[in-house]
Amino acid sequence: MKAKNYIILCLSLSLLVSLTILYVPDVSENFESWLLRFLSTNAAVK
Amino acid sequence: MRIIKLALQALGLLLLIPTVAIATLRYEVSDNDGPSIVFPGGELVTGELYRGPEPDWSFTDDVSTIDLQLYNPLASRLIWIEESAGKIYITSDYMGTWLGRLWKHWAVQAYESDGLALVRIDKVLYERKLVRVFEGSVLDGVIAKKISKYRSRITKEAILSGETWVFELTRPDEV
Repeated sequence: MKAKNYIILCLSLSLLVSLTILYVPDVSENFESWLLRFLSTNAAVK
Repeated sequence: MRIIKLALQALGLLLLIPTVAIATLRYEVSDNDGPSIVFPGGELVTGELYRGPEPDWSFTDDVSTIDLQLYNPLASRLIWIEESAGKIYITSDYMGTWLGRLWKHWAVQAYESDGLALVRIDKVLYERKLVRVFEGSVLDGVIAKKISKYRSRITKEAILSGETWVFELTRPDEV
């Protein structure tokens, strides 16, 4: 993929992700729950 | 060469999604009156400021989480609370790894600054000062309460090694 198209894709995807988190119900809560599980698992001393 | 370029582009997209999601959520709650589950919120505004003698903190046994706001820097977090022998404590786990310290950076900020804080419990605001507890028999009560209340796996060894930090929430004029 050419650089110009790739940048457009990245910007579009960023906008889509942000708008989804801001405006689709429960998405932010679900993402935070997943992030909490990820941190709890990976931030502990092994 | 083309395959490597495509692989790098795909990797970039995969990293982009969680990065944008985290940045969006962090920005979304940064000015809120209180934190979200993971991300720090802004200044605690609502709630009545408590004035009077030290309350009987045993009521916090029925409180799962509280809002903790540091003044320096001005940001709030959601946190567990443990009452022991008439005093209240908060703990910060995962302090032994870089990811944990990144996640729990408030503890470093509280320890390295003046520790002044505002706590909101059941819509009541309490002025407090965070004082780190390194050792002593008081830790046994905090550990017992955290295990019984939250089914935590906290140990005294974790506290003594610095993996878990314990703070007493004292009156600001007490120390």
